[in-house]
Amino acid sequence: MTDCRKVLGRMWEFLDGEIPQREAEEVRAHLVGCEHCNPQYKLQLRFLNALVRAHAAREVPRPEFVRRLREILGTIGSDLR
Amino acid sequence: MFDPTMPQSPATPDAKRAAFEAEALVHLDVVYRYALSLTHDRAEAEDLTQDTFLRAFRHWDQYTPGTNARAWLFTICRNQFRRRRERQAREEPTDTEELESLAAAALQASAVPPDAAEGFFETPELGDVLRKELDNLPEEFREVVILSDLQDQSYADIATVLGVPLGTVKSRLFRGRRLLQERLVEYARDAGLLPGTGGTR
Repeated sequence: MTDCRKVLGRMWEFLDGEIPQREAEEVRAHLVGCEHCNPQYKLQLRFLNALVRAHAAREVPRPEFVRRLREILGTIGSDLR
Repeated sequence: MFDPTMPQSPATPDAKRAAFEAEALVHLDVVYRYALSLTHDRAEAEDLTQDTFLRAFRHWDQYTPGTNARAWLFTICRNQFRRRRERQAREEPTDTEELESLAAAALQASAVPPDAAEGFFETPELGDVLRKELDNLPEEFREVVILSDLQDQSYADIATVLGVPLGTVKSRLFRGRRLLQERLVEYARDAGLLPGTGGTR
């Protein structure tokens, strides 16, 4: 498994944790060690990390909304009694 | 509200509420953000979130404890969203599945020069740009990128949430990421964040 194109073709699945462990180790070893693939690997890691950071800064629901939803759920719950 | 055709649950109402609180309601923030990413509108996201949890509560007996509650909630949320949208539009996405070449081609085409990317992804304003570009992605790509990259769902769970084959999930995810990267590059060029890249075409 040293074919760069093949490894790059599996890179996203590797980053997504979607390939079996043994193969994942091979892919990772190549991505870390290959001069050609390593910059691509780092680039994709940065991209995915940036996405996660961007999303973490998204807003949370308003407290009034959370309270109202809980009230409604509570009401329905007691309808079952 | 109570469906007599449902299997008899041994859980008392209090136990049901406690279980719902512990396994479903803890995901309120996450579901709200998912709803927001679908609707792009705070008020609509609240309505959608509320629909989702009310529906989830009514159908709580269909949830298998210990399984992926988020994926289950996302499925409900998305179905509710679809239902709302169906009145307005109809669309039939098509898919191809040349995944390996797609993924590899995406990297060639993403055209972020790896060297220049060093500081690029740490640029302070990148977060805003990413959020905006993510919101602008075509829906079929956006929802997969959100579920995978932001909500950390597996391909298999995404396939369940969306009701599409696994290959379609991958195809849409890879295309979505590629589009997103291309748009980031465009933005970066315009803003002068990427130095002399020259060889884009």
